[in-house]
Amino acid sequence: MTSPIISIEKISKHFGGTRALHQVSFDVMPGELHAICGENGAGKSTLMKILSGVITDYDGQLYIDGQPVEFRGTRDAETMGISIIHQELNLVEQLSISANIFLGREMRSGWIFRNDRDMHQAASELLRSLDCDIPTTRLAGSLRVGDQQLIEIAKALSLHSRIVVMDEPTSALTESEVKRLYRVIAKLRSQGATILYISHKMDEVFDLSDRITVMRDGQFIQTLTTKQTNPRQITKLMVGRDIESLDLGPRPERGDKILEVRNLSLAWPGHARGYRLKDISLDLHRGEVLGIAGLMGAGRTELLECLFGASEIAPTGEILLDGDSIMPRHPSEAKRWGLALVTEDRKRLGIFSNMNVGRNLSICAMREATIGPLLSDAKERDVCDAMVEKLKIKTAGLEAPIGSLSGGNQQKCIVGRWLQTNPKVLLLDDPTRGVDVGAKAELYRVIRGLCSEGLGVIVTSSELPELLTLSDRIMVLSEGRKTAEFAIEEATQELIMEAATGGWQPSEGLVASDD
Amino acid sequence: MSNDSPTFIGRLLSSVEFKLIFSWLLVVLATMALDTNHTYWDSPGEAAQLVLRQTVLLGFFALGSAIIIISGGIDLSSGSVIAMSATVFGSLMIVLDPEGFRQGHVSTVAVVLAIAGTLLVGAMVGTLHAWLITSVGLPPFVATLATLVGLRSFSRGLTPTLTGGKSQIDFPDADLRDVLKDVTSISIVFVLFALVLWILMSRTVTGRHLQAMGGNEQAAKLSGIRTDRMKWLAYVIGAVSASIVGIIMFADSGSAKPDAMARGYELNAIAASVIGGCSLQGGLGTIPGTILGCLFLRTIIDAVQKIVGAGSDVFEGMIVGIVVVVAVTFSQRGGGKLVGKRFFSNEIGWTVIPALGLLSGLSYLLFFGNREWYAPYQAVVVFFVVVSTLIARAVMESFTKSSDAP
Repeated sequence: MTSPIISIEKISKHFGGTRALHQVSFDVMPGELHAICGENGAGKSTLMKILSGVITDYDGQLYIDGQPVEFRGTRDAETMGISIIHQELNLVEQLSISANIFLGREMRSGWIFRNDRDMHQAASELLRSLDCDIPTTRLAGSLRVGDQQLIEIAKALSLHSRIVVMDEPTSALTESEVKRLYRVIAKLRSQGATILYISHKMDEVFDLSDRITVMRDGQFIQTLTTKQTNPRQITKLMVGRDIESLDLGPRPERGDKILEVRNLSLAWPGHARGYRLKDISLDLHRGEVLGIAGLMGAGRTELLECLFGASEIAPTGEILLDGDSIMPRHPSEAKRWGLALVTEDRKRLGIFSNMNVGRNLSICAMREATIGPLLSDAKERDVCDAMVEKLKIKTAGLEAPIGSLSGGNQQKCIVGRWLQTNPKVLLLDDPTRGVDVGAKAELYRVIRGLCSEGLGVIVTSSELPELLTLSDRIMVLSEGRKTAEFAIEEATQELIMEAATGGWQPSEGLVASDD
Repeated sequence: MSNDSPTFIGRLLSSVEFKLIFSWLLVVLATMALDTNHTYWDSPGEAAQLVLRQTVLLGFFALGSAIIIISGGIDLSSGSVIAMSATVFGSLMIVLDPEGFRQGHVSTVAVVLAIAGTLLVGAMVGTLHAWLITSVGLPPFVATLATLVGLRSFSRGLTPTLTGGKSQIDFPDADLRDVLKDVTSISIVFVLFALVLWILMSRTVTGRHLQAMGGNEQAAKLSGIRTDRMKWLAYVIGAVSASIVGIIMFADSGSAKPDAMARGYELNAIAASVIGGCSLQGGLGTIPGTILGCLFLRTIIDAVQKIVGAGSDVFEGMIVGIVVVVAVTFSQRGGGKLVGKRFFSNEIGWTVIPALGLLSGLSYLLFFGNREWYAPYQAVVVFFVVVSTLIARAVMESFTKSSDAP
């Protein structure tokens, strides 16, 4: 029995108050392809960042070849032979392929001059070994995503990496590019490289891996030998999260249909898939919460943006609100129709950080706070006070800076901002992200309360228990398509996760094309 | 702001406006003490009028610039828009009343129409900026840089075609000139203009939306604010305010010389806004603050001219530069403290010390080289004093623990 090439021992990592990793331990054997599976936020990427020296402060110990190591940066990890191919590629688009491959360790002739010729030559050889014959003088930015990824792999090769970490490498690839990636992986393995492969696509994991480690909520769950398990078991392990039982009171009566979406599609020019959303249809009734489940990149945010007129290009299809056909092309139109969107990225798209709590609350419905053409401080204060009261926002006052509030209370401010507009439909994009447990429960109660007032609510979340707690129905998106819809009584985490990972059909064309 | 807040006094004392008034008083007192001609003692009315006129002239387009900055943009074109507006104003008078123009008495109708036309042209320039930024998709810096260079050249081309080959338009009407350059009348117009903008920014929905857009444009759009229309409004206000200054400056200087007029003024407007508390990142700043910024800037320029006695605007740029650096350093969030902050203890810090020393020594030479008590060794002493002080500070810094880790 050989000894492990990587040993991870009791590694923990916190980001502020949130626990990203907790006492994770497992081994990786030399030469194996080790898949790491887990839901969004399971801690896969954090662990890989620790392994590749991107994150340097953590608890626990990392061993390479049995030796304890402590990386001070990515350079240290590279010296130990570890390379990472990030999901978001790290290329300087304005530089040539060879310049990217040798960035930070350029070849020189003498002390002063850069040796571009040798670098181009070396880069060409590397690319040829990867079945790729793009001239290395081309700019990285002019390449397709799949080719850009090959450049990253070539970089890993040039570093003589023994361990290559791939973080969701196929998420932006066409089918033929995926096949080429499979060939490259086979080649790397034939040269003895160990590969850590992060993915939530069951077909790839089962096509490629020797062993699978499942993580959940920052914890190690189990390592299984691929041949002795099946996709159903893996998805079950991925979602086996406890559901905090939370009594939100009775679900309100389902009212009339308020929103209807027919065949909504959103193009994605320049991407292999060609669309962000394809033929999405859904209904929403008054007093109902429709949950939208889906993994990262499934199109949840894009769907809400389309409904709200905030998508960069116009979607096609039909949106009916109360029977009227609408297709908002600007959020201000959506607002007039009675739609409201609470965005996912609170800091970037939600709060006005140099305004106080009151102004953040009143911004969407300033007309409520005017006398004639002028703003009235008194009216604005009354309107905001009423909302602070209604949503139980904890603040030192309307004059307090918005940044002094906790994440949950900031989120309530943004919900409150929209309630001032008396919306018919409230769209909530991952509303509890970065919100602590207690505040989550309060937000759930607020949402339930709004439903009983007759609002229709669409909520997305990366946490399945949350959707199961809140929703009356759950719709599942996978890679821009609607793959399932469940009534709350029949929905389980396992069923949802299966629909979100696109199920598993053995893909003959892709298996073992190296022999 | 509500007066019932317990920290009302504290907030007043820490506001940009209060700091500016305080610093302004210091500058005035210093000038009274140090000015060897005792201008502020002997003819306070005259001195005040001079500063007031310059403050008002700067104030008009600095307020326009401030509104653009608060709403998250930047306008580099004001100097050229001033020159262009002066040219357009002159040209319109020539076109509308050629006879009166030649005889030195332009008819009132022609003057009113010419003023209205000039302001309209200003609004068109603002619209052009807004279109370039929102529809063409240029960054504000590039869009207004293009008009900065373009409009001045356009005015230079326009002038000879209307004046029969001359490179400047002379102001035709002495009576009209006296009205337009009169410090009382322009001050009244300025107060009205400032009042309208102040109400707009602090008391209307539009003002709040402009400020919100400057703070977070994405969030503003997602809150249903028509950010493209807001930008149009901001850039139109900016360009029209510069047009007003063009009209006044034409009268004030007696001629419109498009090649030299108001060259570089846009930077003074931006500097005054920043000194007055506007953040170039957008979302922060007030109209009163900007007015005080203009007053402070013009006063300190005046003070240096009085104290140094150079009598010209040679040092204006230097003063603006230094004041902007100091003002922004002290008003930065988390900044404004000299203790515990590391200025000189890294490689760049050590390297800049001789440069700052040279700058101080040479400035001393430039400021006081014409005094009878001046001797060259004094500049050398200044150099060594500054350099050794900074070295001492750098050494001190490297021994204390940094409070702001990178």
